[in-house]
Amino acid sequence: MTKRWLKLAAVPIALAFVAAACGSDDESGGGDTTPASEAPAATDAPDDGGDAGGGGDFDGATVTITGPERDDPSIASLNDVLGEFGEANNINIEYTGDADWEANINTQVQGGNPPNISYFPQPGKLADFARAGNLKPVTDQVNETLDEFWLDGFQLYGNVDGTQYGVPAKTDLKSLVWYQPAAFAAAGYEVPTTFAEFTALIDTMAAADGPKPLCVGIESGQATGWTYTDWVEEMVLRLHGPEVYDGWVDNSIPFDDERIQEAMQAPVDLWTEDNVFAAAGSIAATSFADNGQPLVDGQCYMHRQANFFAGLFPEGTTFADPADDSAVDVFYFPDINGDKPVLTAGIFAAAFDEDPATMAVMNYIATAEYAEKRQAAQTEAVGGGLSGYLSAAIGQDPSVYQPLEQSFLSILESAEIARFDGSDLMPADVGAGTFWSEGTSLVNGDIDVSEAASRIQASWPG
Amino acid sequence: METLERTDTSGEPDDPIVEAGQPVTRDAQWYLKVVVAVAIAVGMLYWAAVEEKIRSTLITVVITVAASAGLWIAANFLFDQVRNRWATFNAIAFGLLGAVLGVLLHGNKLTLGSGSGFFTWVIGPLVGAVVLGGLGYVMTRTQDPNQRLTIATGTGLAAGIVIAVTIREQFQPGLDVVAIVVYTAILAAVGAGLSILLKHSPVGGAMIGAAIGWILGAWGGADLGDGSLVESLVATVVPAVLLGARFGMTTDPDYTERVNIDTRSRAVIFVGPAILFIFVMLVVPAIRTGYLSLLDRDSEEFVDGENYGSVFTDRNSLDVDNWTDMFTSVPFLIGVVLLGLAVVVGAAMKKRTGRAVEIGNPTVGPLVVGLLLVSFGAFTAMRGTLINNLWWVVVVTFFSTALGLAIAVLADGRRGERVAKSIIFMPMAISLVGASIIWRFVYLARDTSTEQTGVMNALWVGLGRLSTGSGLPTLIVTVLLAICVVLALIFLSNALVKREYGRAVVPAILTVSLGWFFVRFVGIIGDGVGGFKIDDDGTVSGQTIFFVQEVPYANFWLMVIMIWIQTGFSMVILSSAIKAVPTELIEAAKIDGATESQAFWRVILPQIATTIGVIVTTLIVGVMKVFDIVKVTTNGQFGTQVLANNMFDEAFNRVNIGKGAALAMLIFFSVLPVMIFNIRKMQQEG
Repeated sequence: MTKRWLKLAAVPIALAFVAAACGSDDESGGGDTTPASEAPAATDAPDDGGDAGGGGDFDGATVTITGPERDDPSIASLNDVLGEFGEANNINIEYTGDADWEANINTQVQGGNPPNISYFPQPGKLADFARAGNLKPVTDQVNETLDEFWLDGFQLYGNVDGTQYGVPAKTDLKSLVWYQPAAFAAAGYEVPTTFAEFTALIDTMAAADGPKPLCVGIESGQATGWTYTDWVEEMVLRLHGPEVYDGWVDNSIPFDDERIQEAMQAPVDLWTEDNVFAAAGSIAATSFADNGQPLVDGQCYMHRQANFFAGLFPEGTTFADPADDSAVDVFYFPDINGDKPVLTAGIFAAAFDEDPATMAVMNYIATAEYAEKRQAAQTEAVGGGLSGYLSAAIGQDPSVYQPLEQSFLSILESAEIARFDGSDLMPADVGAGTFWSEGTSLVNGDIDVSEAASRIQASWPG
Repeated sequence: METLERTDTSGEPDDPIVEAGQPVTRDAQWYLKVVVAVAIAVGMLYWAAVEEKIRSTLITVVITVAASAGLWIAANFLFDQVRNRWATFNAIAFGLLGAVLGVLLHGNKLTLGSGSGFFTWVIGPLVGAVVLGGLGYVMTRTQDPNQRLTIATGTGLAAGIVIAVTIREQFQPGLDVVAIVVYTAILAAVGAGLSILLKHSPVGGAMIGAAIGWILGAWGGADLGDGSLVESLVATVVPAVLLGARFGMTTDPDYTERVNIDTRSRAVIFVGPAILFIFVMLVVPAIRTGYLSLLDRDSEEFVDGENYGSVFTDRNSLDVDNWTDMFTSVPFLIGVVLLGLAVVVGAAMKKRTGRAVEIGNPTVGPLVVGLLLVSFGAFTAMRGTLINNLWWVVVVTFFSTALGLAIAVLADGRRGERVAKSIIFMPMAISLVGASIIWRFVYLARDTSTEQTGVMNALWVGLGRLSTGSGLPTLIVTVLLAICVVLALIFLSNALVKREYGRAVVPAILTVSLGWFFVRFVGIIGDGVGGFKIDDDGTVSGQTIFFVQEVPYANFWLMVIMIWIQTGFSMVILSSAIKAVPTELIEAAKIDGATESQAFWRVILPQIATTIGVIVTTLIVGVMKVFDIVKVTTNGQFGTQVLANNMFDEAFNRVNIGKGAALAMLIFFSVLPVMIFNIRKMQQEG
């Protein structure tokens, strides 16, 4: 008798588990968002503008943030900074660093389950979401904060068709080459100041029986190939100047244009087997993050990568320290026409809802206090040295930045020709799609440059 | 087979004792079970107390279990009333129907008076329950057909008017006459057709169909908020009256009919939830995916078949420009040679046995391998997602089945069979993602100036170092190799001297391949074997293979992962099929003078042919959908893109929903024939 009861009971229980399994997605998603949306009724919106760190009370509302930054120092510093702000204002802030952020943010948005805020390394993607109506414009108060702490040039890329959606949260200087001064000195090499000197130096290094000239690796999960696109952007800027660059970014100069193809071919020509140390054997298989160790280990002389790469050197690496033979320093990625162009990039925060708690966090990200605190926390997380973080927010205490980092900031502020990372501005189909994937195929030698260019051009939407 | 039977018989005696309700003796094992169960329960409770997420999940599960069980039991109780308390049943059933309708309208805030707050929420369902419940009760007390028709139609009319009047202004539909006519006509026809099929009068079915069609046409095809009160009335009253009239046309069921309802309802209560889940989770999404695949990337406008067309015109999915390359590819040429050999052998066999090709005769080997190599050569010459998918299907299906069969046969009845089979089956327990990560390390290459940490490249580069080196290890390996070659030669000559040409095949292959390897290894031809390269100045350095980065062979190395996993699956199933072949058959064949191999090819193989068919189709279905391996190892780079990963890329990376859906449908359509074949097979056997 009991047995039969069990069998009968098994039917609804099994059904219920299915139902629970189906429902639980909603549960976790709902659990994150409902408190936030209920909070405004109970609390007063914060009116303490600039002093965003000061204590508002949001009744323990939850604000979820996702972003592509998931290296330990970044996660540690973000948790520190956001956690401190959250505690002061009774907001429960959860940051999730996602290796496949590029794909997952789409899924989350389409599934109607977006985070409250996401960090966007690509203004192009931010614009796509804004135009689709997924993102919410920042409130007037956040705009005021932005005007207080950020120059128009930096706000620009968070602005979509005249409405401000993004708040700059991080600034990157890309036109840098990392090297070990001691290794250069030991081999008798000079820091190159022109591109011709740079290529000549590479030839010399390759001919000599020692470390290879360059460390290159372009693997980065879903985003594999972005390092290559950076090189192409540098080459377009250097070979053909900012006008061509701007035309290329808005596709009035197509990818299959001869000038662009020339710039696409240039890095490939430079990345010969003799010239490149690839930790994982081939460039396409080597993670972009795995280039710091070989540079420090003396397996290659140079690595072109943005300032944030400081955070990816092995722990304990010292920077610009003449007393230390293993210290790492940077030089400006040399130009061709003497116009000193600078390639920049950045991360923007944008909100998927306009709850007071969400906007309070957005407001805080826009302040100099956020930048300052994150820099301090990240410096601590990497154990001194360069943090890998940089922010061009006005009014930060300069002492949180080391001299080398201050020089990055001054380059950023004083550069006459500064252009934002082009692939990040292009539509995601190209800038976070075919430019990466076809570029990887080109680097890997699967297709030639004209084939890659025509495939990328064919994928340009509209 | 023997072990299976033993466990079966030993398991049976326990059950009847319990079923018979005899007192159960509680032994130590029983107490152990109780202790474990309590420990698990306590552990979970403690866990729930500590972890917020676990707690909320547990509460959800408990509530859902209770609600589902309650619903299910309530449904059974409700239908218990059918036989003897028809009026109660009708009142409750119709009341529930009305309440659901009220929840749908009121809960979605379509009607006036709805909003937040308990009372405003509950008023709509209450009204619906009272009206329809009342109708249900009254109808059981009325037997006169005219009265029934009047009451039901009248209630329908009244309900329709009430709903139409209370619909909020912003939801009043702007009617599209064409849509209403078309939907009504189509669904009326469907309803009538279904009624005829079920051997009822077509009028009733047509009325219900027309009502549903009217609702769909009036509400589904309309711009909500564009309409007026009149349009709202038209949209609501007509179907309400139709449904009411249809109900009024029925006669109150007598006792035998009620018994029928009672019996049939139980089947629905049991199967209903499952069907509902399949419908909601599988059928509806499938139809919607098909619909989305016809729309553009933002699912806004129809683009006809453009999404499907682009799959076949995109050079990334189909690139056959260099198909002539296959004539120069090594696998293709070897395959052609083997096919030629098959023709020669076939002609000889035809002369001797009358059949050129027959299961188990010498033609089959070269024929199958030749075909495989020719197709392999063809696949290496072409590029694109579609080609890759076909390549996967051919290679993985063939090797998984063939290897599984070979292992099952060779291990059958041997010592250590269980251990060997367990080990080969083990990869099945590893997830595809886990296996891909493992193999990524196996295939890993490092810069040649450093030590290789990937197994394959470490072996390859190590072999190169051995082959080009001149130290003691090289000497030892050379001697060992020479001994192997000589041994193989001895076996070969033995077989040839005894004129057992069948037994000479394996030693011959061994001798040739080992001999070739030896010649290459010591550098008689070429500079050596393995991963090395010699620079212009004569220095020797390592040379790695980029297994998963070299177009097009990267595909093959990914397939190896799948084969590694799936071989265990086909081995286990084929092994049990082989053991299920009656021993009498084999013994009878042997008494008639069949050799071991004849017994296999002529007796066992025909017996397990259906099993092989099932395995092949299951593998094809699985391989067509391959995703995880590609996603983890190359993410579709290096010419390894497959349909499923492409679909993911399009739908979730590039947010091109139309194309993503089209690719999903394409996978569905290509798997469908195989699925149908498989299901047919299963039904035939059952």
